[in-house]
Amino acid sequence: MSFYETLYIVDPNLENRTLEKTMDEIGKELEKTKSKIINHRIWGKKRLAYVIERQKYGSYIIMQFEGGDQGKMFDFDTWMKLNNSVLRHMTVLLDEKPELYLEEKKPGESEPDEKQSASEAVVTDLESEKKVEEAENQDEKMEDEKSPEPKEVE
Amino acid sequence: MAFQNRNKFCYFKENGINEIDYKDVKLLRRFVNDQGKIMPRRVTGTSAKMHRKLVRAIKRSRAIALMPYVERGLDK
Repeated sequence: MSFYETLYIVDPNLENRTLEKTMDEIGKELEKTKSKIINHRIWGKKRLAYVIERQKYGSYIIMQFEGGDQGKMFDFDTWMKLNNSVLRHMTVLLDEKPELYLEEKKPGESEPDEKQSASEAVVTDLESEKKVEEAENQDEKMEDEKSPEPKEVE
Repeated sequence: MAFQNRNKFCYFKENGINEIDYKDVKLLRRFVNDQGKIMPRRVTGTSAKMHRKLVRAIKRSRAIALMPYVERGLDK
């Protein structure tokens, strides 16, 4: 059996609930191909290297799975392309079986408290969001500073 | 330039890296110039085998907007 990884970008302005909903939808659509999902997690909000559909930022989501019906994968691909909430997606063949992703543990803790780690994850999420917002604000400032300057044409 | 005036060696062989992940942008950034172009092997010293993998990884990360196809340098 082959293992695959799909990385897709979702509109960063979606609320957490809507994001989970779209993730669920995508997971269900993938299960139609008889694939087994191993990991399906949010990688984080990142700045895009170039603008896609007027978006500067995007939420990256990683989905790793064991391949099912190959013929149906084309349908899944088309479905992803037609899905308006997905800015871009890419499926890649993995060399080996992906490891189950667990929430980041601190070394030294033998048994991490599940509730605690969950709350920590939320906190880090919030922090990363703050950082993104700050970066965004800075960008805007930079643009503001730059915009009054007339553009020089060579 | 970071790669000039230095003994050439394959970064990946030296560090025992066999597979390159396209999501590892920090690593891939080392092998493109400030325009976002992939640096030639004769400059970076990467072994042929790893260079092929590197090129694939960079192209993949461009497709998913982790790295730029072109970096605007002068007209900013």
